[in-house]
Amino acid sequence: MERGYWIKSKPVYTSLVWHEKATSHLVLAAGIGGMAALKLFQQMHPAQPVTVLYAKYAQMEVDYSATLKKIVPDNLHVFKFEEDLLTELKSIMPHMRMGLRIYVAGSEGFIWDVAKVVKPFGVENDHIMKELTDTLARSVYCVHCKAITRNVTTNIVQCCGCERMLFVRDHFSRNLGAYMGLMVDAESPGELPAIEEIYP
Amino acid sequence: MNMIDVRVAAVEQVTPLIKHFKFVKEDGSQLPPFSGGSHIVVAMDAEGRTYRNPYSLMGSPTDTDAYHISVRRQENSRGGSAYMHENVRVGMTLKITHPVNLFTLAKMAHKHVLIAGGIGITPFMSQIEDLNRIGADYELHYAFRSYKQAAFVEELQKACGNKLHCHSDSDGHRLDMEALLRSQPLGTHVYVCGPSPMVVAVLETAKNLGWPDSNVHNEQFLAPPVGETFKVQLAQSNIEVQVPAEMSMLEAIEAAGVQADYLCRGGVCGRCELSVLECDGGLEHNDHFLTESEKASCSKIMPCVSRTKGKRLVLDL
Repeated sequence: MERGYWIKSKPVYTSLVWHEKATSHLVLAAGIGGMAALKLFQQMHPAQPVTVLYAKYAQMEVDYSATLKKIVPDNLHVFKFEEDLLTELKSIMPHMRMGLRIYVAGSEGFIWDVAKVVKPFGVENDHIMKELTDTLARSVYCVHCKAITRNVTTNIVQCCGCERMLFVRDHFSRNLGAYMGLMVDAESPGELPAIEEIYP
Repeated sequence: MNMIDVRVAAVEQVTPLIKHFKFVKEDGSQLPPFSGGSHIVVAMDAEGRTYRNPYSLMGSPTDTDAYHISVRRQENSRGGSAYMHENVRVGMTLKITHPVNLFTLAKMAHKHVLIAGGIGITPFMSQIEDLNRIGADYELHYAFRSYKQAAFVEELQKACGNKLHCHSDSDGHRLDMEALLRSQPLGTHVYVCGPSPMVVAVLETAKNLGWPDSNVHNEQFLAPPVGETFKVQLAQSNIEVQVPAEMSMLEAIEAAGVQADYLCRGGVCGRCELSVLECDGGLEHNDHFLTESEKASCSKIMPCVSRTKGKRLVLDL
C-alpha cells in the first residue's frame, strides 16, 4: 500500500453520534456494529422516536442482541441475516418522512448495501452517518470484466469473474459500494508483487 | 457586460403596487432560452444615473418570443422600482442582461414544496411551467396579506389546480411552516422566495426538523441599503470613487467608468466579490454569499450590497 496519498472517492467513516435536530432516528447495525449502536445509547437519548434494526452476524459469532434488548427502550427489531434486515428496511422506508436521520454501523459491504436500499427513497449517502466495524475487508470491482469480488483482505486478489490478478486501489464507487481493481501483471504476466493481508 | 436590447411590449397594473412588464427583442428575433427560476438584470437610465435591478422571469421557459417580469413598487425605493412604475411605458427600449439561474429546481427531488411570499411568487411562475411539463409532484404555498394585494392568483389556479394553497393573512389563514415541513415524504426539496422573515422562518424550521441543507433552497435578492458616504480607492485603476449614501458601491464604481463583474446585484451569487486591501473602519456585510468567517476576516466584500462603516476603503480592482 502506498503511503501519504489520498484519493477523494475513498469514504471517510466516523463514530455514530445522535443528530440533535431530527423528526425521527433509524439505527441500522450488523454484527460488531451492535457495539456502535450500544455506544450510541450511552449518549443522551434523543427526544424523537428511535427505531433500531440489528442483524446478528452469524459468520463472526458475535451477537449483541441480548444487550440491545436491555438498552433500547422499544422499536428494536433483531434479524438473523443482513439480507433480512435490508428487506425490512425496504418495507419501512416508504413510511418515513423528512427529518429522518439514518445511522449505520457494520462492515463496508453492509454500509453501502444500506445506502443502496435507501437511495431510491430520496436519501443521499452524504446524509447517512456511517461507522465502520467488523472488518476492513473490501468489495473489489474488476475494471476488466465488471465482476465484484467480496470480502477481500489482501492488496492483490484474484477476480472471481475473469480470474485476473487485481491490484486493489483506494478509488471507491458509491454506486457499486466497491473499490477499483485492475490487472496487476498485464505487462509482465505472472510477475506479482508480494500478496499481503492489509484489510483484515 | 453583453446586454440585450428589448422593447416594452405591454405594461399591466396587476395590483395597486405591482406592475407586469412584457419585453420583446428590439430586432424582433427570439430571446435566449432560460430555465424556471432564472432572473435578468434590467438597466434603467434615470436622471444621470443607472439603476440595475434583478427581476425573476415569470413567463413560460418554452416561450422565447417575450420575457415577463413583475415589479413591486418598494415603499422606500432607491429609485429602481419607482422608475419602472413611473417611467417605463409601452414602446420604450431598455437593456437587459442574459438570464441567469441562481434558483434552480433540484432535478433528483421526489417532491417539490414551493413557498412564496408576496412578490416572491415570480420565480415560481416559471418553475411551475417546468414542473407541470415534467409531471413532477409539487405543492405551491402562496402567502400574502390579502387577496386584493395578491398578484396572479387566477393564473396560478389555472396552472396548478389543487396544488396551489393560498394563505391570506387578512383571512387568518397563516401558513403553518412547522406542520408543512414535518409531514413531507423523504426526498422532498423546499424552495422559498419572499420577505426576509419568511425566508428565515423556512430555513430555521427546516434546520430544526433535521432537513439536510442540500434539500433547502432560497432566493432573496437584497436591495442595496442606504448608508453613509465613503471613498473607495481602486488600486488597479488607480482612481478614487466617492460612494454617495443612496448608491451602492458597485453602482458608484460603474458610474466612474470602471468595469466590474456582476450577476445578481442582490448579494446572492458572489460574482462581484472584490478583495479588500485596506479599510479604516469595519465592513458592513449585507450579502448572503460570504461565510461568517470570510465576513469577519475583512478581506472580501460584495460591492453590490455591502459598504464600509469607515471613511475609506481600498479595493483590488
